[in-house]
Amino acid sequence: MWREIGDREAGKIRPNAFANRFKRNRIESLQLSNHKDIVSAHRGSINSLQVDLTEGRYLLSGASDASVAAYDVQRPTEYEGNGIIGKHKCLFVVDRTHESGHQYAVSSAVWYPIDTGLFVTGSYDYHINVWDTNTTQVVTNFKMPGKVYKTAMSSLATSHMLIAAGTEDVQVRLCDIASGALAHTLSGHRDGVMTVEWSSSSEWVLVTGGCDGAIRFWDIRRAGCFLVLDQSQSQLGRRPPILDRSATNKVSSSKSSSPSPNLPVKARAAQRKLSNGSSMKQSPIAKIPAKGPLRQRLHPGMLSAQDRATAHYGAVTGLKVTEDGMHLLSAGSDSRLRLWDVESGRNTLVNFETVRLQTSKPMQLATSQNSALVFVPCMTTVKAFDMWSGRTDLTFRGHYECVNCCYFSFQDQELYTGGNDRQILVWSPSRLVYDEMDEGPHQDQDNWSD
Amino acid sequence: MENYGSESSKGKKRRREEESAAESSDFDQILSLEKSLTFSDTMVALRIMRAQFPQIDKVSIQPFILQSQLYSSVKDRTRVDRDLESLKREKVLRIFKLNTGQDDHAIMFSEDYSSQIERVKKRSQEKKLGNLEVFEWFKTHVIDFKLEPSIEHHELWTLLSLGGKVKDEHISLLINAGLLTRQLIDPNMYWFTIPNIGSILKGISQGRKEVLSLLNRRRYKEMMLASLEKKHLRLSSLDMRFHLRDLIGSGHLKIVQTPTGLVVQVSKD
Repeated sequence: MWREIGDREAGKIRPNAFANRFKRNRIESLQLSNHKDIVSAHRGSINSLQVDLTEGRYLLSGASDASVAAYDVQRPTEYEGNGIIGKHKCLFVVDRTHESGHQYAVSSAVWYPIDTGLFVTGSYDYHINVWDTNTTQVVTNFKMPGKVYKTAMSSLATSHMLIAAGTEDVQVRLCDIASGALAHTLSGHRDGVMTVEWSSSSEWVLVTGGCDGAIRFWDIRRAGCFLVLDQSQSQLGRRPPILDRSATNKVSSSKSSSPSPNLPVKARAAQRKLSNGSSMKQSPIAKIPAKGPLRQRLHPGMLSAQDRATAHYGAVTGLKVTEDGMHLLSAGSDSRLRLWDVESGRNTLVNFETVRLQTSKPMQLATSQNSALVFVPCMTTVKAFDMWSGRTDLTFRGHYECVNCCYFSFQDQELYTGGNDRQILVWSPSRLVYDEMDEGPHQDQDNWSD
Repeated sequence: MENYGSESSKGKKRRREEESAAESSDFDQILSLEKSLTFSDTMVALRIMRAQFPQIDKVSIQPFILQSQLYSSVKDRTRVDRDLESLKREKVLRIFKLNTGQDDHAIMFSEDYSSQIERVKKRSQEKKLGNLEVFEWFKTHVIDFKLEPSIEHHELWTLLSLGGKVKDEHISLLINAGLLTRQLIDPNMYWFTIPNIGSILKGISQGRKEVLSLLNRRRYKEMMLASLEKKHLRLSSLDMRFHLRDLIGSGHLKIVQTPTGLVVQVSKD
């Protein structure tokens, strides 16, 4: 490591490459932490974990016993084991006994993206509460028509403060904190919405995954979604070369017209129209093939409601947009994890070796900073897959029961996981011997003392 | 997993041997053929497994391969998926979704599927049912055009109408013949299916359970591959090799190299 620092100084390694190499080495040595322990204040399974985005210091967790707690993950509250193990107790916990606390399970707890003064929780008691952290009081609350599965706020937003809420109801609702009212709803899903995520490249784009297996991209300034992901639309590779995409479209339309040269021209044109209509982008002019009795005049933005393409064969249980906003990972109850190219809307066909994934609850995925690794909770373990080849790189076995959520902190390269066994486990890079010099209270000794 | 190629002659991971066999045949014919015979590993695996499909007396069915079997015999799964996608686009093979489990897919070569449709058509002719022209329409318009495993009702109607006037009885005939089934979730969508496959699907799911229970009953939940291969399955008409490939590919079993040979274990995750 010292040699690499010298190389960086001399200019042989770029500073970014140096930092990335170092982080990569640390991630590869992730294991159950032997110097950090979070004392869970919950008596129910942990459904959601998030470290705040501003400082990377406070971990917020929501559990099935309607409790929400926050922990400081950088400074332990006390030391144990001769000063080596730091115990992190919760800074505060809000549960059912609180006057305006939730009554049923908390499915999602997220920090306000700008600072840690507020946090938003969504629960199975149909409410979304916005809390003030310092006084632990509810500031605003929104009532939803069904169990709230996920709430999300955009970290890029500069002109809106909307909370996107996915519930049992088919409509995705946007709640505005500034006015305390519901801003608008997005319809198009045909069953409950289990996951919602904001795009990491645009403050207006929302991605939602529903129990009907569809993943839809919404621009909240317009009606209807602009993209529905279809698992049968695929591309071979991370990004299609520019010529390749138009070539496959031409190939499919030429193949459709070649086997039947005797058809009248009208039928051939109908075939070509069908091949265009089956691609995922909807054009404003209605290109729906004539459906007979079902023809009705729809707003062009609502045409997407007719699109029944599915991204998974079951419900979509987890979504994660990569940091650069170019790819989307989705986990479904058909136990598959798929990687999508956001710009073309196609399945990149990377096969992740997942055997079984939890199907009844939404789950939280995590990615490492350069999007090289994906952390996925697979039943009682958490597996880290290489994003581009789908190989299993690391497996984290430590929980006694199913793992529901995981969060990777970029700053410290630490992974926090929470599961049905009510524990929050910390996985950190293994500490090297010389690091032990600077932790905890140590007696003042040098190598020569007796 | 590369060492497994050198295992028993009846062994399953014969990828290395298959590759060398393909390469030698390639080399011999490299002067006469220029383009065909480009075997990716996936293609070699598909052909070998098609040849190994067990003979079943009671049901007449063409060989098909489960997607999980491919995963167990070719190392890189992403490459298998991409190869399957390109072969599907070239219309060499067709992928069907099965209802035996969460994510089961069956792969059948196009020529096998066409002969299966012919067989179904002959059977319907023998039963003296009307409206037999729908099989021709199905073969020429729908199969060639729609490569995905499912199709919407109005699209099916439009494609069949390219052959002639379509009536509801035509579609019922296709469903009764076993070429289409309705989806449970959405009444407007159909799955493409392989006709006469019902008893085999039952055999697949029961055979899987039988193999897993066989291994789970043992004390350490493992067994030598050589002795496991020789066992006969009571409930399934497919052979043990078929089920083993399928279970290893789907991750329920794993193979461990030991000094005495390969051992099959039930995987714990």
